[in-house]
This record gives sequence, C-alpha cells and structure tokens, in this order.
Amino acid sequence: MTAPPQLRAGPGPGDAGTAAAVIRTEALTKRYTSEVTALDGLTVAFAPGITGLVGANGAGKSTLIKILLGLLPPTSGRAVVLGHDVTASGERIRTLTGYMPEHDCLPPDVTGTEFATHLGRMSGLPATAAKERAAESLRHVGLYEERYRQVGTYSTGMKQRVKLAQALVGDPRLLLLDEPTIGLDPAGRSSMLDLISRIGTEFGISIVVSSHLLGEIEQICDQLVVIDGGKLLRSDTITSFTQVSQVLLIEVDEGTAALTAELAARGLQPRRSGRGLLVQIDGEQTHDTVRDAVADLGLPLNRLQQQRRRVEELFRDNGDEEERGDG
Amino acid sequence: MTADNGAAAGLAPAAGAGVIHDLGYQHYDGPRLGRAAIIRALYWHSLRSAFGIGRGAKAKIVPFLAFGLMCLPAIANAVAVATSPEHTRIVDYDTYTYALRTLVMLIFVAAQAPEMVSRDLRSHVLPLYYSRPLRRLDYPLAKYAAFTAACLLLLEIPLIILYLGTIVSVGGGSAVWDQTKALIPGLGVAALWAVLLAAIGLLLASFTGRRAYATGIIAIYFFLTWILARILVNVASHGAQPPPGPVPGPGHALVAASFPLGARLPGLISPFTVIDGVRQWLGGTNPGPIPNPGSAGVAYGLMFVLLLAVSLGGLAARYRKVGAS
Repeated sequence: MTAPPQLRAGPGPGDAGTAAAVIRTEALTKRYTSEVTALDGLTVAFAPGITGLVGANGAGKSTLIKILLGLLPPTSGRAVVLGHDVTASGERIRTLTGYMPEHDCLPPDVTGTEFATHLGRMSGLPATAAKERAAESLRHVGLYEERYRQVGTYSTGMKQRVKLAQALVGDPRLLLLDEPTIGLDPAGRSSMLDLISRIGTEFGISIVVSSHLLGEIEQICDQLVVIDGGKLLRSDTITSFTQVSQVLLIEVDEGTAALTAELAARGLQPRRSGRGLLVQIDGEQTHDTVRDAVADLGLPLNRLQQQRRRVEELFRDNGDEEERGDG
Repeated sequence: MTADNGAAAGLAPAAGAGVIHDLGYQHYDGPRLGRAAIIRALYWHSLRSAFGIGRGAKAKIVPFLAFGLMCLPAIANAVAVATSPEHTRIVDYDTYTYALRTLVMLIFVAAQAPEMVSRDLRSHVLPLYYSRPLRRLDYPLAKYAAFTAACLLLLEIPLIILYLGTIVSVGGGSAVWDQTKALIPGLGVAALWAVLLAAIGLLLASFTGRRAYATGIIAIYFFLTWILARILVNVASHGAQPPPGPVPGPGHALVAASFPLGARLPGLISPFTVIDGVRQWLGGTNPGPIPNPGSAGVAYGLMFVLLLAVSLGGLAARYRKVGAS
C-alpha cells in the first residue's frame, strides 16, 4: 500500500490519491434559489478513516451530507460515494451508509431496542437479524443496560448514542454523523468522541463527522475537510492541519498598537483579536520573539496564551490562500 | 467465582475477577432485503400500530373499543337469528347499521390516522427512513396500505361474523348460498369505505405532528360534512315528498322547486354519504342515509374518485415536501 494520499484543495479529479477515496465530489454545486447557494463548486475527496467535516453553521455541511445520501439532487457537478454515483444509485449508497442526523429524531414512547430493531428492518435486515444487530449496536454504544427503557426517558447523551446505534444497526461501510456532539456536556462530548474514534479504528467503518467546532473533532480525525459558504477552504491530513492552527494570544494593558508594529518588524504577522493580538506559532522561537518584543517595549503583559485558532479564523486565513490557489 | 462455576458454565476459568466478554465488532454478512421487503416490513409495523399492538395498553383502548362496537350488530344478529323461529337476518351486509358504522369509523380514523403519520412527523423520525434504501413515496405508500388494511379489518371482520352468525342457524345449502351472494357486495362496499376513509384520514393527519390537532381536524371534517349532508337531505326530502300532514316551514317553496336534485345532491358533501351514493348507484337497494341518487349516481362515482385522487395526490405531495426539507 502507498502512503495515505495527501489531499489538497484545488483541481485534481483523477489524480492517484483520489482512487481509494470513500467519497469524491467534483465541482459539486447546490443552489436552492438563485440567491441561496449551499454548495459552490466543491471538489474534494474523503479518504478511508475518520474525516472531520468542519464549517460554520450554514457552511453547507448538512446539504453536502444530504447530497451524499442521494436525498437531494445536486444542481451541477457530481459526487461518488463508495464507488456509486449519488444521482444514479442513491438506494445502493443508503444500503451501505448509516446516517445520524443533527436534530432530534427519536420517538419518545418506544424502547431503545424497538427503535433500533425497527430501523434495522428499514435498512433491509430480516427480522431476526435486525433484533440481533439492534442488541449488538446498542451494546457497542453503551446502552445495553438501558435498552428496554423508553427513549423518552433517556438523557441527552443517551439519546445521541441511540441515534448513533440506529446508524450502526445496518452494519454500514460508511457513517455520516451530523454534529454528533451537539448539546452534550464536556463529559458526554468526550465519551461520544471516544465512541466514534473506536468505531472508526476498531470496527473498520469509515466515518464522516461534521462539526462547527474544529477543536472538538480534530483529536479523533485522520483528515479534515473545511468548507465555508459552500466552498472548500482546505482539505488535509490532521497533522498538517494542527501545525497551522496553533496561535499565541497576547494581551497587553496598553500599547497594543506599538506592539503590533514591533511584532511585524520582527517578522510575525500579528492580527487584532478582541482586546489582544494573535500570532501564528512557528515553533519555539515564536514565544521568545513575543517575549522579547514585549520586554523591549516595556509593556505590561496581561496574558500570553497558546491556543487553537477558532474555526472562523481558519476560514479567513485559508480563504486568502484559496483565492490565490483557485486563481 | 470459582473455577468450578466457570467450568460448569462452559467458560475458561478466570483469574479471580469477573470476565469482560468483549466480543468485538461483528460485521453482518447475512442477507440484505430489497426495497419491496422493506416496504412490506413498514406495512406490517404500521398495521400493528393501527391497533396499538406493540405499544402500551393505552394505545389499544380506542381501536379495540371501536372493533367491539362494530361487532355488536353482528353478535346481536347471531342471537336473533338463532332464537327467532324464522331465522331471518336482522342486519344488512351492505349498509350494516350505517349510523353506528359511520360513528365507529369516524372515531377510529380520527384517533388512529394520527397514530400512523403524525407521530413520525412529531418526532422528526422521517430523515431516518429517507436515509435508508427507500424512495420518497414508499413511506406514504406503506402507511396508506397499512391503514386501508386496518380499516378493512375493522369493517369486514364484523361482516364475516354477521355471515357466520347467520349461516349456522339457517338451514340448507341454498340458504347459505343466498347469504354468500348477499355478503359479497357487502364486502365490496366495506372496501369502498376503507379505501376512501384511510386516504382522507392520512392526508389530514399528515398536515400536523400534533396528534390532538390531527384528531380534531379529522373529526371535525367528517362530523360537520356528515351533519350538513344529513340536514340538507332531510330538509330537501321533507319539502319534496308531499307528505300527509303539516307543511314544512320557511324555504319550503324554494326546496320543493328543486326537488329532483335537491334531495339527491347534498350527499356529495360528506365522504360517508358519497360512499353510500356509490353503493346505491352500483345497485344497492337497502335504504341508506341518503335517497337513491338515481340519475345523479354517476356524480357520486366521480366524487368518490375525485376525493380519493385528491387525498392520495395530496399525501404524495406532502411527503415529497417533507422529505426534501
């Protein structure tokens, strides 16, 4: 086997890397009305493994997922999922794919087992197999003890897990998870992410997990696809992604303008962010440079914090790059 | 746990503590059924839920009460046929105590059509159906087939009881054959009821996810149109037939002037009277809730087809829209 394909934005349908892709889109466009464009010429490939689909609310994540399931016809362009065209073979794709919607989709007055069994049957499993697979999926998501309880009595975390179980019940080759951590508390989020990670690595099921929070899903993803306004901003492996997403937040009580000039003079590119400044971290020396600049100016340093850039900032920066790249 | 216990249970003896049986993830390599089988599974699931089977005890109250009520005339008939010296049937197969039948069907459709479709709308479960190997219209198709079947069971099982209750008492093969000949059109009329009421009920229920609203909309529609049709028919025929006795009140002249159609057309307003108009148009002679439509019979036939087409077309349009959002 060759090394994992390095998937970059930009033209490249048919290049060697995309041959093994689980999902491939070419100039995929979806317009709802002449004003509302949900997807705008999206060309991207999703490698096997866990891929994070990141974008702000309204970036086109849910639209993309619906097109990939063959539920929404694209306005133009094409998409191929597990080797099947979404327009021609939606049913085949939906046989092989499990989908966990973002919104609440649970009837309150059935038990976890009944719910998962029924949806197993709806996935095409015979009656007995559906029962077995339902028990199996509920066990894997950690709801085995609670499986005879009514879904309406579940906690938010358990509801998210039963949603995941119904996606898993048909033994899919691909899972599309739309904002699986939404509404969960920190503990619930991390156990959901652990679960997704385990499904992706141990069960051998490829996963696309969408989120508007990059920091949240990047820890479990092999690859990230970032979209904004229906356009691809960046598609890359996780390692190259985290390198650029580290920034340093500097807050001084006064002299922010002077510090900005000083940092620029020292070769950094500071940006205003609220009351502070953000600079990109290029290794250890960045911290030293900032320290020296603040000391030389004699400014009262209030805060020096290493953090991930918020996803909106990634959009802005990479957006500039993309404009150059797209030409 | 001792080693003995472990061995007895057929397990490898564990070193002291309990054993974690992590079987790992098992892929499914059994058969996968196609779209037709999935629709069939949804049909059965829905048919069961129409009678509250697979749900709690509360969900069974209305359907089983409706079923019990609907069977009463058939049971009363069985007793009457057995005890009367002439062994004559007291309930007709085609009209089957139409007032009771109308009431029971109104209650059943108003209570159970929301069970079929409003629940799924309420809990937003449709995306889970659509993300499976079903097409847009498979869901309403399965629901309609299931609800029609549920109505058929409710309408026709009492007819079968009526038939059986009669033939055990009547003597002779020719008498049984007579009953059978009378039963068959009765089953056909019941099918007309089921096909139309299920379609209208599901369409109205599919407009809202709130069960109470859906039940209210259906009950009000069925009840008001039924009452209106009955009133108009009564007023019109009252004025029309020159009855011995006091002359009807104001409006008499107006109604009497339009006699031929005035009494025969109001039945087009209510689905229940439309069905009965079709029954009489097709040759049913037992008295029903409306006068025999005579030459206007074809209008009842057309109205039946129109109501059915509008209901099913509306249902399809509704689910095309729900699925796309």
